[in-house]
Amino acid sequence: MSVLELEGVSRQFGGLRAVDGVTLSIGSGITALIGPNGAGKTTLFNLMSGLLPVSSGRIRFRGQDITKLPAHRRAKLGMARTLQIKQVFAGLTVLENTWIAARQRHRPLDPFRPAANDRATRAAAEAALETMGLEAMAGRQAGSLAYGDIALLEIAMALATQPALLLLDEPVCGMSPSETERTVARIRTLSATTDVVIVEHDMDVVFGLADRVVVLAEGRVLADGPPAVIAREPAVREAYLGEDEEAA
Amino acid sequence: MSALSVNRALTLLLLIALVAAPPLLGWMEVDFWLVVLTEILIWGLLASSANLLFGQVGLLSFGQALYFGFGMYGVAIGIDRFGLGLWPAMGLGIAASLGMAAVAGLVAVRLTWHYFAIITVVFSLIFYFLALRLKPITGGDDGLSFAAPPILDWGSLRLTLGDDATQYWFVLLIVVLAFALQARLRASALGRAFAAVREGERKASLLGIDVLRVRWIAFVIAGGLAGLAGALFALFGRYASATHMYYTVSGEAVVWTVLGGAGTLLGPAIGAALLILVREELSTVWEHYPLIVGALTIAVVVFAPKGIAGGWNLMLARVLGR
Ligand SMILES: Nc1ncnc2c1ncn2[C@@H]1O[C@H](COP(=O)(O)OP(=O)(O)O)[C@@H](O)[C@H]1O
Ligand SMILES: [Mg+2]
Repeated sequence: MSVLELEGVSRQFGGLRAVDGVTLSIGSGITALIGPNGAGKTTLFNLMSGLLPVSSGRIRFRGQDITKLPAHRRAKLGMARTLQIKQVFAGLTVLENTWIAARQRHRPLDPFRPAANDRATRAAAEAALETMGLEAMAGRQAGSLAYGDIALLEIAMALATQPALLLLDEPVCGMSPSETERTVARIRTLSATTDVVIVEHDMDVVFGLADRVVVLAEGRVLADGPPAVIAREPAVREAYLGEDEEAA
Repeated sequence: MSALSVNRALTLLLLIALVAAPPLLGWMEVDFWLVVLTEILIWGLLASSANLLFGQVGLLSFGQALYFGFGMYGVAIGIDRFGLGLWPAMGLGIAASLGMAAVAGLVAVRLTWHYFAIITVVFSLIFYFLALRLKPITGGDDGLSFAAPPILDWGSLRLTLGDDATQYWFVLLIVVLAFALQARLRASALGRAFAAVREGERKASLLGIDVLRVRWIAFVIAGGLAGLAGALFALFGRYASATHMYYTVSGEAVVWTVLGGAGTLLGPAIGAALLILVREELSTVWEHYPLIVGALTIAVVVFAPKGIAGGWNLMLARVLGR
């Protein structure tokens, strides 16, 4: 059963086809989306999450056509995502960040009841922090966290919405090797309860985590299959993995 | 002792001092300050409406005078033309400002930053000129003056605005209630949604927050608060005039907010109090007193970017070692 289905999805920026007729069924487990810089991975996430409208094509999420829905409606349906350029509510505390995320499922615009009295939301917010190992920082201002912790907080916020599908855009980018290792372990844990699509450049992370790898190049799906098969594809090695080795 | 409890204690002290002001000022034989203090309360309430948008939701409105004006004319027209009592007239003023904000908000909240600021000014200018033109309704240049109906008239118990102390307590009661409502709002889920939209609207929408709707709600509440201030101001002066709908009034509300501390509960009122006191003290002595206002504002913005209340909170945090 696929959670998310894309049918001929395209997005044009002027003359550039950043995403060009992508047809994909995102199933269960962890799907890695790889491809060289500028392949259209972030743009595809923007189309899935509703930050950008498609130029053509259809998107279905949990059986519902969401092509025309704004981002907040998709989030309410159970889609969560993190941004490639990490963003949290910098002026609020770490706990307030996940609290806001967790509260969106239950009377989010209640103007009267004090937020501090909402025990259930607080518990959910704390649980999300715990999953990402941030519970010790709950009272800190989010903007004062180290870069790696901000990335973790962003994932915690996404998790606090209790998503059915989680889109992670380069989650370990900028993290130290030990942070990366811990984050990978946490992503593996959370994938037990939610389906994940991860955009990642670190091939150790990709092949260590993914149940399935989709390769994107110039806005098109170049290859799609289990990691072991993808690693052997000549076209993939040439278009992407080769380039990666050069860069390394 | 936490910063929160220090601020709570100070707020309580301020409240006690404000309640006791009429006899206190009388005892010090400076009764005329009571009227100034009444005006400060009203302008502080207007500033808080600009602060709700700017400090809490991150929208800089230069058009709060429009809703202030609707509250003001609502009261004046209600009393002068429809013969309403004080409370129904206030209700009319607030309803008019809420309605206007609900309509203008539909357009304004789609814009941010300077575009939002510009559209709010444009709306208020349109209605400023309309108010000048629609002489039969608004009195045009001359404005509308009226005799204020009693606050309460229960047989032997009759409270009127004619008595300065009664008028002051009446305004104080309503302003305190309006600030209490705002305190409640800040602490609610909606208040946190405001903060989320201010801190990052893209992130907020990805978490499921309907950003436009949240902004619109804030816009309408802010319009209602400005309308309440305008209604009180009309009762205070027994008069409504387009002058108080001009964009300079909106601008003052923003300056008071920034000076006092955008995003804090009482900062805007503190800013209003300070600048009105400066005006009262200096305008008779020196005609170029706005220079001092300007210098003061620049000094605060440079040395305490979060305004007086923000600077105070920072200092408090440092002193209490956090
Ligand atoms: N908002 C935008 N406007 C114009 N061009 C864009 C925009 N977003 C992305 N692009 C272009 O689309 C292409 C794909 O970008 P992106 O999706 O960010 O790639 P990736 O995430 O795979 O590195 C790039 O050529 C990029 O310059
Ligand atoms: Mg990208």
